[in-house]
Amino acid sequence: MSKAILIDTTKCIGCRACQVACKSWNDLKGGEATFSETWSNPRFLSSNQYTRIVFREIPRSDGRLEWHFISRRCMHCLDPACVSACPVAALVKLPSGPVVYDDERCIGCRYCMMACPFQIPKFQWESAVPLVRKCTFCADRQAMGLAPACSTTCPTGTLLFGERAELLTEAHRRLGLEPKKYYPQVYGEKMAGGTSKLYLTPLSFEELGLTQVGFRTDLGDAPQGLRGREWMSKVPLVAVAVGGLAVGLYYFNQRRAAIEAEEPKED
Amino acid sequence: MAGKIEKWYPGEGKLTTGKAVLYILLVLGLIAACARMFLGLGATTNLNDAYPWGLWISFDVLSGVALAAGGFTMTAAIYIFNLKKFEPLLRPAKLSAFVGYLVFVVGLFFDLGQPWRIWHPMIMWNPHSVLFEVSWCVMLYTTVLAIELFIIGLERYGQESWIKFFRQIYLFLVVAGVMLSTLHQSSLGALFLLMPQKMSDLWATQAIGPLFFASAVIGGMSVITLESLIASRVYRRPPEIGILSDLGKGLGIALLIYFAMKVTDLYARGTAVWVWDKPHFFFFVELFGTVALPALLLSFPEIRRTEKGLYWTSGLAAFGVVLNRFNVSLTGYIGYRQFGYFPSAVEIIITAALVAMAILIFDLGMRYLPIHPVGEGALGKEAGGSP
Repeated sequence: MSKAILIDTTKCIGCRACQVACKSWNDLKGGEATFSETWSNPRFLSSNQYTRIVFREIPRSDGRLEWHFISRRCMHCLDPACVSACPVAALVKLPSGPVVYDDERCIGCRYCMMACPFQIPKFQWESAVPLVRKCTFCADRQAMGLAPACSTTCPTGTLLFGERAELLTEAHRRLGLEPKKYYPQVYGEKMAGGTSKLYLTPLSFEELGLTQVGFRTDLGDAPQGLRGREWMSKVPLVAVAVGGLAVGLYYFNQRRAAIEAEEPKED
Repeated sequence: MAGKIEKWYPGEGKLTTGKAVLYILLVLGLIAACARMFLGLGATTNLNDAYPWGLWISFDVLSGVALAAGGFTMTAAIYIFNLKKFEPLLRPAKLSAFVGYLVFVVGLFFDLGQPWRIWHPMIMWNPHSVLFEVSWCVMLYTTVLAIELFIIGLERYGQESWIKFFRQIYLFLVVAGVMLSTLHQSSLGALFLLMPQKMSDLWATQAIGPLFFASAVIGGMSVITLESLIASRVYRRPPEIGILSDLGKGLGIALLIYFAMKVTDLYARGTAVWVWDKPHFFFFVELFGTVALPALLLSFPEIRRTEKGLYWTSGLAAFGVVLNRFNVSLTGYIGYRQFGYFPSAVEIIITAALVAMAILIFDLGMRYLPIHPVGEGALGKEAGGSP
């Protein structure tokens, strides 16, 4: 069965304990805090930062500001574009849910970074021997029967870890129970073939201004990698067709030239 | 045996200004390459998480391979379509194709994060990945080109028994070359099938594979024309205007077909074409300036029969292919919108050095290998040419 995390952003208080837990478990260096136009810190995911909380101040109809906190990390797609893209199969989707990366295979071509619709894989640009880094869904912890570090730490139950099918039922239960509290969609349920991160938000992702930070809403339900795989399925056919045509045309044209060379003699 | 094939080149043994510039570029490139290898990509390039692919992919890889398509285009024309009149262009085309793929491989080597693992796709397979197929096809096709050059080298040293062996498998080499080229030239476009949302609508199409193939044929033909004209000027030979204007006719037809493909694709997808913004500016330059214009010019025999006319039309067409690859991979790419990318000095120097390397190796080949005199391949000879 495939695991997932249901991220109910209405429960998030923006404490960033998940960011800290992620850094401790994955042994990532702490970064220097910087000022920015929002309270989000750090401002971007990087090879040293697998998850972060996006802070949003949205004016309500009564003029007061409302805070929204949206956790951002690898979506762990059910049918990931990065897995379809990687030429050396360094990225693999595990049946249990996580999309994991093999340091030993990667050649550093960065096609996964281009292909990922959510802009998730990050490169160790500062290193002379760089690798790709991203959230691992704590595949190592899951293998030991533990929940991911972020959801274990979360004090408010925003990051609910469990079976994807059960979490979807739970998400729809919450939507049905309090329709006014939520925007009526589970982000990640079907989009791009479905993801292992499921989001419940009070407003649409457009209203929250999230489409600019990597949460796309224009992907459709088909997985991104499908088109590449469709192309690849035609390759053997094209190879045989082009090869056959080339050989055929070669003999045809040779024969035609030979006949043309003979004809004047017969006249 | 050690002497050169032709001994009458101007500037023989002398260091001309042009060559001095090329050597200086090469040395600068070596220094830049050392910096890139020891300091890493982040320190020496302007690539970032929002723009993982930059100048090297757009120019060295995508443009380089498209412009080196002349090798397979000419091979197909001469052997498969039996257009023997183009034979004098075949060997220079093979040489330039080999040099082009060399640039591609070296450029890719510096672009990869782990360049010493460049061989990984050979044993670590992902048959779902378009890039996996591209890497295999490029590896095999570069091998085919290397064998073709090796045969030319054997001819120089008169190794008849070896040549006889290769003559027997030559049809296999021809067919393999055409097949592998068809596959990877189109698949380089298919790389972008995975990210239509990250690209400008003008280039994000399902038909990008066939479009890349068609424009690669254009790139190959126009580079052969340019290369032949420049070579005749440098090596002081009369330009082969007769053959080149016939090739120009073919180039015009290829451009027309490509134009029709582009327009059909845009119309079928209902893309908003008549808008004025940055991607559209590049798009108009590409479609009208470098596809429609040379096609129109090449339809006049008065233009395609003059050296100047051929220079301009094939120059425009080749530039158009490069512009298209940049548009697809860089100017039309939308990652994070708040990030920008412009290549760093190291990126530009390495690319310039690769071009210099290509010219120098091409020159070396022209001088030391029997490329020009009676340019006939193994099969051509079988058909009755002089050895």
